[in-house]
Amino acid sequence: MSKKYDTPLLDELEKGPWPSFVTEMKKAAARSEMANDELGQLEKSYRTKRGYWKHGGIVGVLGYGGGVIGRYSSLPDEFPGVAHFHTVRINQPSGWFYTTKALREICDIWDKYGSGLTNLHGSTGDLVLLGTTTENLEPLFAEYSSRGWDLGGSGSAMRTPSCCIGPARCEWANIDTLEICYQMTQKFQDELHRPAFPYKFKIKVAGCAVDCVASIARADCSIIGTWKGKIEIDQDAVQWYAKNGMDIKAEIVDMCPTACISYDGTNLSIDDDNCSRCMHCISKMTKALKPTGEKGATILIGSKAPIVVGSLMSWVIVPFMKLEPPYDELEELIRKMIEWWDDNAKPRERIGELIEARGMREFLEAIGVPPQPQQVFEPRKDPFFFWKDEDLTKE
Amino acid sequence: MDTNELKDKIFAFVEAAKGKKKLKEKDIIKGVSADTGVDKDTVKKALREMIDVGRLMYSYGGGASSVEIPSEEYLREKGLIK
Repeated sequence: MSKKYDTPLLDELEKGPWPSFVTEMKKAAARSEMANDELGQLEKSYRTKRGYWKHGGIVGVLGYGGGVIGRYSSLPDEFPGVAHFHTVRINQPSGWFYTTKALREICDIWDKYGSGLTNLHGSTGDLVLLGTTTENLEPLFAEYSSRGWDLGGSGSAMRTPSCCIGPARCEWANIDTLEICYQMTQKFQDELHRPAFPYKFKIKVAGCAVDCVASIARADCSIIGTWKGKIEIDQDAVQWYAKNGMDIKAEIVDMCPTACISYDGTNLSIDDDNCSRCMHCISKMTKALKPTGEKGATILIGSKAPIVVGSLMSWVIVPFMKLEPPYDELEELIRKMIEWWDDNAKPRERIGELIEARGMREFLEAIGVPPQPQQVFEPRKDPFFFWKDEDLTKE
Repeated sequence: MDTNELKDKIFAFVEAAKGKKKLKEKDIIKGVSADTGVDKDTVKKALREMIDVGRLMYSYGGGASSVEIPSEEYLREKGLIK
């Protein structure tokens, strides 16, 4: 490397027993001028308490409107290696499963065209490559796509759908999250690569209400696995937990959000009609409790992080949908949601914000979903169903 | 209306908005379809073809994506002009 930066402030972040991104950046800096200058600019940011990145613009690959996030240093003379430092999003495989061969392939190409710095994975779910130049974008994309990789979503587009690991490794998965995520990615390819929406739209698929992919907080459309039957109880296993130190009243009974569990010191019982399928008891007593019966998903709408207005959590619109290949019913529902949002939203307005502004009633009418009790977000607080004139008849 | 004529109409629509309004893809499709009477799917197809060859391009700014006329610098980067 032509220069070496002193990084006393960044060095502080290498102390302690946890992994440090600074250590990893230093490793990359030993081989890459871009990573080296990124280290220098970051140290300067920490010292001056100012950011030196400019964001946005017109970088991308021909025909695609997303997948590359333009980033430039505002100090190109001081840090020429990061004058261009664009981020590239690669569409991750469902559940983030890679072979080591695939990971080596990704890294080898990235070392050739970029800084070598990666973020596995970004909060979007994509495999994120940090730092390349405008002139390297087309050859980089050509090389990745020749090996079967594709760019992810960015901008006002369908973002790369993501999912939890689901049935690949998790006994609680009520739906095939991996297949649903893959099929939605294929069905919405056009919307993913060609930004035509008012703003971003995210789909996340979780196998159960534990929601390892944080769909209820982060996805415009959350698909969360659930079941219709009872929770099967193995009373011997319940006793095993009690004997091994679990305070069943405090940890299970008192934590049930609908108070549908009781325990008499010997037997556990569940009033399944009042169970909201939150998964708390099942995830705490894995040996003793098991969902049974028909499996499917609850479809929710509208969560987002706080950017334009405050954060929102997803809202149940379809309490139970049977999800089986080729998932046409789910696709059709999502397309109706998008169509209403696209027709009515202002630029940079997420679907959840539009529902807040226009009302859930209008949204449900537009997508053709009937009102149901499970859709009441806050009981007795926001009654969003009203009689219309045509609903009223005089006797 | 043949495809080339439609593409010229699309280009003129985008050019007229230059510096005044950031156009979403849907704004162009709706606007050109209303102006020309050509159905939206045909306009969309023609617009996509223009983007694929670099006559128009996707842009991003202020948190939202739009469709614009590419700069010479962009066309040079993509090897579309020398």
